Amino acid sequence: MRVIFYLFILFMIVAVLYMAVALLNKSGNTYEPYSKEDALGLPAMTIPEDNPLTAEKVALGRKLFMDRRLSQNNTISCAMCHVPEQGFVVNEIATAVGLEGRTHKRNAPTIFNVGYYKHLFHDGREFSLENQIIGPLLAENEMGNPSIGFVIEKINSFPDYQGLFEQAFDGQKANLERVNLAIASYERTMVSGNSRFDQWYFGKNEKALNEREINGFRLFSGKANCISCHTINKDSALFTDQSFHNTGAGWSRNNKVLSNLVKKEASKHTFPVSLAPGITVEVANDHFDKASETPKNDVGRFEVTSNPDDSWLYKTPSLRNIELTAPYMHDGSLRTLESVVDFYNVGGEDNPYKDQRMVPLGLTQEEKADLVAFMNALTGSNVKRLEKEAREAYFEAPVP
Amino acid sequence: MKLKESVVAIRKISQVALLGMGMMTLPLANADESSCSPFTPLVKGQEDFVYVWTLGVKGIGDESDKLVTVDVNPKSKAYGKVIAKTSVGGRGEAHHMGFTDDRKFMWAGALDSNKIFIFDVATNPAKPKLVKTINNFVPKTGLVGPHTFYATPGRMVVAALSNAKDHGGQTGLAVYTNAGEHVATYPMPTTNGGDGFGYDVAINPNKNAMLTTAFTGWNNYMADLGKLVKDPEAMKQFGNTTVMWDYKSMKPLKIFNTPGAALEARWSFKPGDNWAVTTTALTSNIFVYKQDDKGEWQQHKVGTIGDPAKIPLPVDIALIPDGKGMWVNTFMDGTTRFWDMTDPLNPKETYTKKIGSQVNMVSPSFDGTRVYYTTSLLGNWDMKGKADEQFLKMYHWDGKELKPGFEIDFYKEKLGRAHHMKFQVRDLKTLQPLQATVESKTKFASN
Repeated sequence: MRVIFYLFILFMIVAVLYMAVALLNKSGNTYEPYSKEDALGLPAMTIPEDNPLTAEKVALGRKLFMDRRLSQNNTISCAMCHVPEQGFVVNEIATAVGLEGRTHKRNAPTIFNVGYYKHLFHDGREFSLENQIIGPLLAENEMGNPSIGFVIEKINSFPDYQGLFEQAFDGQKANLERVNLAIASYERTMVSGNSRFDQWYFGKNEKALNEREINGFRLFSGKANCISCHTINKDSALFTDQSFHNTGAGWSRNNKVLSNLVKKEASKHTFPVSLAPGITVEVANDHFDKASETPKNDVGRFEVTSNPDDSWLYKTPSLRNIELTAPYMHDGSLRTLESVVDFYNVGGEDNPYKDQRMVPLGLTQEEKADLVAFMNALTGSNVKRLEKEAREAYFEAPVP
Repeated sequence: MKLKESVVAIRKISQVALLGMGMMTLPLANADESSCSPFTPLVKGQEDFVYVWTLGVKGIGDESDKLVTVDVNPKSKAYGKVIAKTSVGGRGEAHHMGFTDDRKFMWAGALDSNKIFIFDVATNPAKPKLVKTINNFVPKTGLVGPHTFYATPGRMVVAALSNAKDHGGQTGLAVYTNAGEHVATYPMPTTNGGDGFGYDVAINPNKNAMLTTAFTGWNNYMADLGKLVKDPEAMKQFGNTTVMWDYKSMKPLKIFNTPGAALEARWSFKPGDNWAVTTTALTSNIFVYKQDDKGEWQQHKVGTIGDPAKIPLPVDIALIPDGKGMWVNTFMDGTTRFWDMTDPLNPKETYTKKIGSQVNMVSPSFDGTRVYYTTSLLGNWDMKGKADEQFLKMYHWDGKELKPGFEIDFYKEKLGRAHHMKFQVRDLKTLQPLQATVESKTKFASN
């Protein structure tokens, strides 16, 4: 009798443990979307209490991210401007092209490590990943949907989504909040650390960087003073101060480049057009005017705050995976890291609002090359895996 | 050998035999009717209708892409008038069209939505009817931007511009049955000098040769032209190759370096001619393709259109029936140009005329005496404001001068941007025999 009693007690303990584990799994507390190794050099990420990471939500968010049907005419997914194989940006064009080819005035930023940012978009107009997705879904020059309800109805009608929201959200169907929660969850898994710099600086592996890269780091944190905005902390480095600065890039584009387009002046200026490899012609600025829309004004963070002091301020981007995410600057106007270093080496573009830290650096050619070598050592070790996971979620279906 | 394998073997032997016969005996008929496939019967007399594949424009009429039918028979009471229009819904960047090999159906593609619309143009040619929409082009092929529709026996070759993974220029060719079922996809070559870009396709059955050209991907062809030309990296994303294929096996024979985005591909179908021609949009050159004495295909740069430094953007071309002349339109200056191609390796520009503020497509009648023009290049490449004229214009050509026939203002008619044109007749029995012979049709029937 006693044996049966002990067996019963043992059975009860096992059952309780099993249920506890099941509950934990359901609440997602045991889900680890990335390894400790992937996150070397990165701080602990704050996961919102009302949106814990679960495998089901992340998989659903990834599928939504890759789905071109989320746009009004089924042609633009998040991933068409954040292409997995191109550093989750578009390497081939300066600024994104949206629904029906509409122009976007700014460069598409990467989603690597986006879960760490306090502000989203170049002008910092959004604060949480959960809210961020609404803008692109509705923007006429991005995914161009006429309403949120339109998107939700579409998603609920797709056979390949049957059961996925229910599985991720306790039996509930798709709605705006759940779409946001799922995509935000996926984006929080885009953690990409463990670069060779991380292995050297935080992992104390002396052989992880070569002499040139180490010298580049010295310049980065010393003579070039990049570190004053692209910050590195004691235990981690986001390479951004999460703040806004005027380097002159935005001011210059708005007030010099655009002013050259004024009719009377236009024909006095030319610009080079590459027609084919090795064949470039100089064309008058107004040559294509009749076939061009008027470029849009861009005054940076002012567009969010209306504060004149915020004119032409843009968010400091992280430098992680920077070698993969060309073109650079808020408008994609600089193609290479070399050209970016050149821009900073002359102190950016002078303008009345320029950040006082933007001063000529006096870097030699060799120093500039070292700086670039250092930035090329900031590529995460898991990039290929993140690309692959995203592409595996890619799915095409007949369009309505 | 099992029965099925035997049948396949017999079929292959027959095809090889027919191929040999065809090589020796194929008489090529006179010329082409604009860009039609040699497998498609032709309108050799007076065309009754011109179909205009028209881009919907926000703020104009129903804003939808549509097929517009214009009566162009001078004996008709409705001569020079729009007699039908069929909206297909949406603005999908309507672009090019192509007839099936029996000319009873016409496929019309949309470069953005990737939809392909199949119209019945035989039951009532005056009022084409949309009978099928292919909405699975992307899932079936992975390609984006169905551009050229080129008939082969029982099949339609669809040349695409882009792909669905990154909207860049890596693309391919897809083959469909006339019923609209996907058969196969062939990527544009990326090895041996290939750059993976695509645009047009044209076949010479006599030589079992297929020429393809190379343009650019969705990111560029959908973008505003002014923005694009000022983006140096984007300007690198244009094709710089052309490819001569073995059509029967669909394998590249030779890849040519053709800098600056070669667009339309045309074969001369004059008997005895076996040369093809293309022009490059960015570098404004004319290239001719001929076999050398050893039978190897060679590319010859034979001419320069306008002032390449001003990027006139050569767009559509059309060979005239005897292969002795070619119309070339330059978009930026709205000018049409006639080139004497009597000696295709030494062509000469002999005539120019400004058609409008912009001009894209040109379609001469089979006898060459009527020439039709439309305006739209791409929705976001077209001129803006007052310069954005959208029309169909017909001219009479006497060999020396283009004289105005009729004109339809597509904006005043609240239609949209006028793009590709195709001719049709009221009575399909009047269509003339295939340019390609029965033998060659049999030869390619299994592709």
